Amino acid sequence: MGTAGMLATAEIRRGRGRFTAVVSALSLIVFLVLILGSLADGLFFGATGAVRSTTANAYGFSNDAEGSLIRSRLDISDVERFAAAPGVEAAGPVGVLLTGGVGPEGELDLAVFGIDVGGPGTPTTLVDGRLPDPGEIGVAAADSQLQRFGVEIGTTVAVGGESAEIVGIVTDSSYQLQPTIWTSVDTWRAMRDAVRPELRGQPTSINSVAMIVAGDADLTAIAASIPDTTVLTAEATGLAIPGVEQQASTLNSIIYTTLAVAALVVALFFALLVLEKRELFAALKALGTPTSRLGVAVIVQALVSSALGVVIGTLVARGFGLLIPADVPTLFRTDTLITIAVFTLVAGFVGAVFSLRRIARIDPATAIGGAL
Amino acid sequence: MTASETPDPVAQATDSAAEGTGPAPAVDAAAHPDALLQVRDVTKVYGSGHTAVTALAEATLAVEKGEFVALLGPSGSGKTTLISIIGGLLAPTSGSVTIGDTDVASLSRKQLTRFRAERVGFVFQSANLVPFLTARENLLYVAGLVGMTKSDSRARADQLLDELGLTDRARNLPEQLSGGERQRVAIGRALMNDPDLVLVDEPTAALDTALGRQVVQLLRREIKDRGKTGIMVTHDLRMVEYTDRVFEILDGHLTHVESPSALGH
Repeated sequence: MGTAGMLATAEIRRGRGRFTAVVSALSLIVFLVLILGSLADGLFFGATGAVRSTTANAYGFSNDAEGSLIRSRLDISDVERFAAAPGVEAAGPVGVLLTGGVGPEGELDLAVFGIDVGGPGTPTTLVDGRLPDPGEIGVAAADSQLQRFGVEIGTTVAVGGESAEIVGIVTDSSYQLQPTIWTSVDTWRAMRDAVRPELRGQPTSINSVAMIVAGDADLTAIAASIPDTTVLTAEATGLAIPGVEQQASTLNSIIYTTLAVAALVVALFFALLVLEKRELFAALKALGTPTSRLGVAVIVQALVSSALGVVIGTLVARGFGLLIPADVPTLFRTDTLITIAVFTLVAGFVGAVFSLRRIARIDPATAIGGAL
Repeated sequence: MTASETPDPVAQATDSAAEGTGPAPAVDAAAHPDALLQVRDVTKVYGSGHTAVTALAEATLAVEKGEFVALLGPSGSGKTTLISIIGGLLAPTSGSVTIGDTDVASLSRKQLTRFRAERVGFVFQSANLVPFLTARENLLYVAGLVGMTKSDSRARADQLLDELGLTDRARNLPEQLSGGERQRVAIGRALMNDPDLVLVDEPTAALDTALGRQVVQLLRREIKDRGKTGIMVTHDLRMVEYTDRVFEILDGHLTHVESPSALGH
């Protein structure tokens, strides 16, 4: 261990009081940011699961839908047209219905997805049982969130008198924060007609077309080949869901602002610490300590404090996460944690860098005598 | 000792400087052409124009290897400026300082840092130990600055602490040590890297007379035993009896070189 490391770690070990203060502040910030991050992820993943966790990588919409599955109106015949478009490997119909239903324990809010099972748009997150067979009527796979309401394999979920027996459980498949059930287009349409009588005269209408497109496919060209349609990637379809992008940008702004505060906290703490140690630093410089080593010591301390803040903040946030009610959409993701950890360490580093000039300016000659 | 009965050592030092009978340091330096430390015509001026203050004027002195000398003068006399220049902490306005074959004034900032770590030991007024390192770690710290191996630095630190009577206190933090013990640790730290020159700044300022004497006696013994060259800045006439020669300084001018016994009377 070099002299810089010796100074840095000995001070943290033996001056625990003051470092407890900065580590606590950083832990609190990391905790706050992680909770915000889990809410942001919870909202994003809860809103977009139905378009992320499927085999499709692009969706076709009617032009007036602005990328919304609910608003889009296409015809079943469009599936063929999309399938024939350049770069499209497969296409399948998607019907969506946001509605109320009845489960084993009473009424439920849910989203019903009608698809050609096995084709594009089929959920990829089956955790139990099976998906309906292609063309199978009156059965469905249910999102695992519905298990909280007693929906299990073998139970039935009814919408407007049309019921479907649950044969499998899928996960991470909710849409606009509503849990989903996945069934055939025919069953979906029967349910739709039951609760939306005004649509009964449209036996061939669907909402969207799910597609598997080649990696280099030109989505604009695909849309251009079918009149009055637009095509978005699955990711863009998620972001086009009303509120998703706005929520994400609002929460991310709060998160990054809070991380900037972390840099400020570290900067202030070390500015004070350096001010307090002027005399000692002057003596150490007089003894032949290069300024760079004193700088490295401060940066090591900032990084150690930040790392401790990340560890403690994460533990507290995960503990706190257990107390958050199940109906509040939160999701603790490793990706988000890593990003926040890296940003916190960078904030600590940047904060400490502000002290370097102050350290450089300390004159070793002040170690001897007083002024003059 | 008459000096210890003097109520105001500062006044006493000032009077001695004015009434000194020894030769001027410049004359004395000519008699020591091969001295380890040669200070020649060193001037330090702070500020410029009509606000310029001359802190040190054409100071010349020579100190032999193995000598322990005192730089005696009242506060504001320029003794701090002179010792800072000798130690490579302050650049002179003009003049030269050589230690052995090194011209201190010609070194770059980076070289000066290295020079101080390797060749100069400092003992500061208030010890100035690293508060969060133990006595032993304070010694090991400076060894780390010159890249001494771990086993060498440990052996040397333990030996020095033993000589300074601090073996039992090696694992104590500075706040757990008395003022005298802290100053002894500072002496050990100054000697740790086996420097040519040991510069001591008012080592007894924070100590009572008896402790101060002990510390200065110890300093003398360590410097003499190791054949180092020691310079102690002081305004306290009672401490000069442990030195070989006394350079008196007043208003930025080195005035006389005296033997401690001459000052005693």
